[in-house]
Amino acid sequence: MATKEIQQSKQEIATTPKKPNRREKIPHENRHRITKRKMREWMYGYIFLAPWIIGVMIFFVVSMFKSLYWSFYNVEVFNGVNTYPLAHWYDNYVSVFTLETDLPTTLGSFTISLILQLPIIIAFSLIIAMLLNSKIRCRSLFRMIFFLPVIIATGPVMSMLTAQGVGTVPMMSDGSLSSLLGGLPAFLSEPITELFNSLILILWNSGIQILIFLSGLQKVSTTMYEASKIDGANGWETFWKITLPIVKPIILLNSVYTVVALATSGDNEIIELIYAATYTTPWTKGYEYGMAFNWIYTAIIAVILVFVFLLLKEKSDKNVKYEKRLVRLR
Amino acid sequence: MAIKGNKVNPTKFDKSQIGFYVWLLPLAVLMGAPIVYIVCHAFKPMDELFAFPPKFFVTNPSGINFTNLFQQAAGSTVPFSRYVFNSLVVTAAVLILSVLISTMAAFALSKMRFRLKGAMMEINNLALMFVATAVVIPRYLTISFTGILDTWLAHILPLIAMPVCLFLIKQFMDQVPDSLLEAAQLEGANAFTIYLKIILPMVKPAIATGCILTFQQVWNNTETSNLFVSTESMRTLAFYMNTLSGVGSVQGQGIAAAAALIMFVPNLLLFIISQSAVMNTMAHSGLK
Repeated sequence: MATKEIQQSKQEIATTPKKPNRREKIPHENRHRITKRKMREWMYGYIFLAPWIIGVMIFFVVSMFKSLYWSFYNVEVFNGVNTYPLAHWYDNYVSVFTLETDLPTTLGSFTISLILQLPIIIAFSLIIAMLLNSKIRCRSLFRMIFFLPVIIATGPVMSMLTAQGVGTVPMMSDGSLSSLLGGLPAFLSEPITELFNSLILILWNSGIQILIFLSGLQKVSTTMYEASKIDGANGWETFWKITLPIVKPIILLNSVYTVVALATSGDNEIIELIYAATYTTPWTKGYEYGMAFNWIYTAIIAVILVFVFLLLKEKSDKNVKYEKRLVRLR
Repeated sequence: MAIKGNKVNPTKFDKSQIGFYVWLLPLAVLMGAPIVYIVCHAFKPMDELFAFPPKFFVTNPSGINFTNLFQQAAGSTVPFSRYVFNSLVVTAAVLILSVLISTMAAFALSKMRFRLKGAMMEINNLALMFVATAVVIPRYLTISFTGILDTWLAHILPLIAMPVCLFLIKQFMDQVPDSLLEAAQLEGANAFTIYLKIILPMVKPAIATGCILTFQQVWNNTETSNLFVSTESMRTLAFYMNTLSGVGSVQGQGIAAAAALIMFVPNLLLFIISQSAVMNTMAHSGLK
């Protein structure tokens, strides 16, 4: 279909030489108007997207495809990069699982702790954001206090702080918790203990999420709250019927951000493994091994994100387009 | 309605506010701890830095760490101001360019129709998940291929594309009602006018959040100085601060504490500035 059109348009160009630029894009005379409009519409899209596409192509897509390509070869980094074919194209991927014997357990505990941390971070930051969005004194000061730890949390200061045991909740860290969790299997109880041990650290890291929720809550019109108050709704009902539906797309956004931030942060043990495999020279396992490992990890994060999407995606304009529809009805 | 009269802070103290304070104050103490710690730590003299058990607060504040830091800086071959200048130029350039590019791309991806739109969004999602440290060698090859090694561009260009920033802004733009854009179109506004006059003001909170995120990453970034730049005078402040704290184990600790505070202050300033930008665009969706 498309090639036919191109041929046709080429013929047209050959026969009618005037305004060749225009003719190239418009194959059928009878669809002239629509196509032109479409082209214009598309053109704007491409114009707005162009700087981003160029940047991403040069600095991201090229590097990514190179790493994907290398993960299927035997790579030697010496005076540039030389590639040699493997016995099987998937050999690097197999060796990730054979050489890293405790990988399945590490990945499992990472996934479980991610699943446990996610709702805590989301719930905590939503509550804090709602508190900070209410009418109280010194709001800006409070906002600053709640956001700033995230800046420090990325630096070396945090490691000093955790070394002092500031990150743990003192009452929960000892016997009472372990006796409570005694009945659970080890693969579940370990991440939970870990979770309580780093609870404060988790809260310190949720500054961005609070900020994202806050900017989402800013959009909720105060008139809607007033109307619900007049109709006799209490705070609890207001939260479930107004705040939550409006904030729902932001919950999805925040969950995606949280998963990505947790999964790609430098102090994650799997990232450390990947980093060690990729940059410890001389390569004991090979540079290509690190590449393969990284692609496996990316695939796992992708699967987790797909689950998050499925769980939180907008259900056909029942709740989320609520606000939009309200506006249109007027 | 009267948006101007919609004051951010209530003028009077009300009894209903007590409930909020009961929750907020203890949490604020918890969350404020690292800020207090970072300030205290920078002013601790040597004996308190290495005291055991470690102290949270400083008892005899002194500026000795800062004096050490500046002495160290004065002794280096490249003046301290050069690093600050480099950092400022790089951060400002990345911030402006990345906000511009992200908002434009987000506008296109969120509100426009064109071919390959879905594929573009998927590329961004992939970029979001991909671990950046793994593509260092291919990225180095790309950068050396384009010939920008050892220039400011080597600092700026790799950092401009912030997938998280684009995702955030795009998600917020999805909530801008289409009818608003239609109305503007009927009034004769073209895509650029809509972008400047409607889209940008409406996603201001998201832009401010994106700015803070980007700033934090760029300002604290040592990777580009490490990998793509070999001339000492082209490196950034974050890199220099990192090397300083590695110098001499005993003095290095104090210098690192002081350096951490110095690196932290610009973050604080930017947050205060952008915070007012976020919070003063009070709830109005633009439609009445």
